[in-house]
Amino acid sequence: MRLAYYPGCVSRSTGKEMDRSTRAVCVALGIELEELPDWSCCGATHVPNELVSTGLAARNIIQTELPIMTPCSICYSNLRNAVQRMEVPEVRSKVDAVLTKSHERARIRHVLDVILEVLQKDDDRLVVPLKDLKTAPYYGCLLTRPKGGIDSPEFPTIMEGLVKTLKAEPVDFGLKAFCCAGPIFMPQEEAAADIIYSILKDAKKAGAEVLVTVCPLCHLMLDAKQKSLERRHGEQIGIPVLYVTQLVGIALGLGPEELGLNMNSVSPMPVVEKVYERVAK
Amino acid sequence: MSPVKGDAKFTNEVLRLAGLEVRTCIQCGTCSAACPTAHLMDNSIRRLVKFSLEGRKEEALASSSVWLCTSCLLCTVRCPRGIRPKVLVGALRDIFEREGRKDKDQAYEDLFMRQIMDLGRISEALLSAEYLLADPASAVQTMEMGLELLPKGKITVQKDRIKGTDEVKSIFAELGKG
Repeated sequence: MRLAYYPGCVSRSTGKEMDRSTRAVCVALGIELEELPDWSCCGATHVPNELVSTGLAARNIIQTELPIMTPCSICYSNLRNAVQRMEVPEVRSKVDAVLTKSHERARIRHVLDVILEVLQKDDDRLVVPLKDLKTAPYYGCLLTRPKGGIDSPEFPTIMEGLVKTLKAEPVDFGLKAFCCAGPIFMPQEEAAADIIYSILKDAKKAGAEVLVTVCPLCHLMLDAKQKSLERRHGEQIGIPVLYVTQLVGIALGLGPEELGLNMNSVSPMPVVEKVYERVAK
Repeated sequence: MSPVKGDAKFTNEVLRLAGLEVRTCIQCGTCSAACPTAHLMDNSIRRLVKFSLEGRKEEALASSSVWLCTSCLLCTVRCPRGIRPKVLVGALRDIFEREGRKDKDQAYEDLFMRQIMDLGRISEALLSAEYLLADPASAVQTMEMGLELLPKGKITVQKDRIKGTDEVKSIFAELGKG
């Protein structure tokens, strides 16, 4: 399989382990990635004019003829939204007038969806079963929104399926698709901190040993903010938060270095060691 | 919907940016019930729609709610009339910004867009540093996050400018007009 790869801006900073594990997992699964030439920011959640936001996404879409894959739910949602909006003739003609070329029927994919497709055909590559690892999928918002995508925008279950494929145990929790409030973190830190505290507590109460995310902003909030929340609330939370590509990479037998596991704030190493111990038994 | 008594020009501009279907709002409040930050808002999303349709420009633009939307899209998923309230909030932000109005919540968005126009991509470190000047109270959280990320090698300070910045600028300039 050959895909254009849209890493997104955070892959060069706060989401380096997302980028690294995405590339490593794709190599291991025989997925050939071609980085999108001269890609630009999708606008994230900070370009309020929808036509401009559509134009920014469309500029990326026209850089390739290949299906475009991204590991970031925000980029994914913006690119998908642009494809939907471009079906409106008036929107399309305005956007096309600004860009150097037009695109036909672009296909946008999230790395989660690509991995699942490959593993459903061939799960022989899963050499390290994540036996009994209590794994809580955290969806956040944008993997399935706008609607019409790979799963229900209200009650997604696609990651539970992946978790089972990896022989881990999915843990359900009430706030699994509740917004992490990341987009208002800068101006509204306290409110956002309260929300992520609730999400982490909810997952912990449900028995999660590890959380899995598909969005670098959710990840930043749940992982990099976790120690600060512990200090604020005077309690230990201690839940590692893995990118879905890191979780899959562990099951593929890839090492901590290849998956950037040393870059997570809450170390996932104790969990990885537990997995290897269970496999050895 | 009640007849427009207020600023009809404002109403029309919101409709142009957010879609004519906004007029079909039945004020059921599903958007507000779905909103993950409703508890922080002075006016619910339902009221922002109402203010917009009634031309109550000042009430709409002065509302803190405009800056509390996280773009989670749940309102848009659930709206029984197929309205996209998130895009309506975006329209209010856009109008606020185009009129040159300023506040701390808007400052982050403004810096974000300037950086896309300037470099084509976002440098989170640079953005946080610039925001610090606009909102000195953010120093604590920025330092805390910085100290967390620095040893992990996740703070990149070098500017990374794409070739197509002119194209990006024209996207903002041309499509921003409407």
